[in-house]
Amino acid sequence: MNIQQYISSGIVESYVLGLAAKEESEEFEKICAEYPEVKEYREAFERSLEKTAMDHAVLPPATVKSRIFAEIESEDQEGSRPTLIRQVPLTAKLRTGSWVRWLAAASLLLLIGSTALNFYFFSQYKEYISKYDELVTNQNQMAAVNLDLQTKLQGYETAFDKMRDPSMSLVKMTGTGSHFASLTTVYWDTHTKDVYLLVNHLPQPAADKQYQLWALVDGKPVDAGIFDMQEGFTFVRMKNIPVAQAFAITLEKKGGSAAPTMDAMVVLGKVTG
Amino acid sequence: MQKNSYNLSIQVNYTEQDLILKLKERDTRAYSYLYDNYSAALYSIILQILHETELANDVLQEVFINIWRKIESYDATKGRLFTWMLNIARNASIDTLRSKEYQNSRKNQEMTENVHTKTAGLIHLPDIDNIGLVKILGKLKIEFRVLIELAYFKGYTHEEIAEIEGIPLGTVKTRIRSALLQLREYLQ
Repeated sequence: MNIQQYISSGIVESYVLGLAAKEESEEFEKICAEYPEVKEYREAFERSLEKTAMDHAVLPPATVKSRIFAEIESEDQEGSRPTLIRQVPLTAKLRTGSWVRWLAAASLLLLIGSTALNFYFFSQYKEYISKYDELVTNQNQMAAVNLDLQTKLQGYETAFDKMRDPSMSLVKMTGTGSHFASLTTVYWDTHTKDVYLLVNHLPQPAADKQYQLWALVDGKPVDAGIFDMQEGFTFVRMKNIPVAQAFAITLEKKGGSAAPTMDAMVVLGKVTG
Repeated sequence: MQKNSYNLSIQVNYTEQDLILKLKERDTRAYSYLYDNYSAALYSIILQILHETELANDVLQEVFINIWRKIESYDATKGRLFTWMLNIARNASIDTLRSKEYQNSRKNQEMTENVHTKTAGLIHLPDIDNIGLVKILGKLKIEFRVLIELAYFKGYTHEEIAEIEGIPLGTVKTRIRSALLQLREYLQ
């Protein structure tokens, strides 16, 4: 037999992919056992097939694995449990009449049937319980995420409403000295004199420090409140300031200071108009 | 053994021989490893045949339970473990594809499509996801592609294909063989 010709006939690929006819497969297995080069060629194809399948793998949902393990575990338990048939004594007393025997046989069948059904329903029940628990957990997680998102959205909406209020006057505060990258904006309500602070960019302070906003009134600093940096977006309401010529932020010890540490000034902005 | 990035469990390295031995001893840890390593590759093939996630999930479950039950009958001299599992997955998928219930549920969709028309294979091609073997199939000549599609992914016998395509049985066989040889080159 010309082995090269046999190999290049496509039989190897056909066999591996399960497309060969029964006789072809049987013949192939014999030839494979006899000629190591055929086996080698087969293994090379199997490996490249395996590699392709691995490269294009698609992760199944995690629940499939738990379903499989639940099923094989319940199979194992059923296998080790003594069967009911062995426990029911079939004594000679049943020979009293053919109808009695018939009835006993029928009830035994019913018993076996209902036991099987019980097994079936119980495993179904177990499966549904675990599915239900999974759903409840998912639902709780989603509700928590939803609440979180709603809170965030409300915050954004409030901030957005304030920002587009036409009575707001804006004071852009740019970084001083080495803080040139820092930038904040004061939104100052010209009617109510309420002050809101938008953090465009400020580095996160150390754990024992806090930023403090000051209003400069006739050359004197007036405390306008401390603030914390929030995750994502900081737009906070500060103290009400009736008059000011400028605003500044300094980095103070946690809780703020009575007077600003002037060399810890981060941003400064003059009120225009 | 092929290592891959889908293994989510703590990495225990088995050689293929070790793994087979442990599986035959019904070691659930080895079985879990088998699942973690191969389920995604097999799931991909099942999806390529069925195109429906729900059905594919059920078939994947059936396949792994069958692997567990039939591992005794796996014979390493006939092929690698993956090849054996791949064939179980393909057969189960094709059985599902062919099952009456499935045919019925798809009846409305396929009303206009008769599998015994010459274009059966062609009509299905655009539905197929751009993954795995199917992607490689795309490189084959159209007449080869249709035959592999019908034989491998739809599970038709050579005789059925000869009838569907209206070509002699001998030609079907030679063309499939040539297509497979080309496929092999693309896989390397």
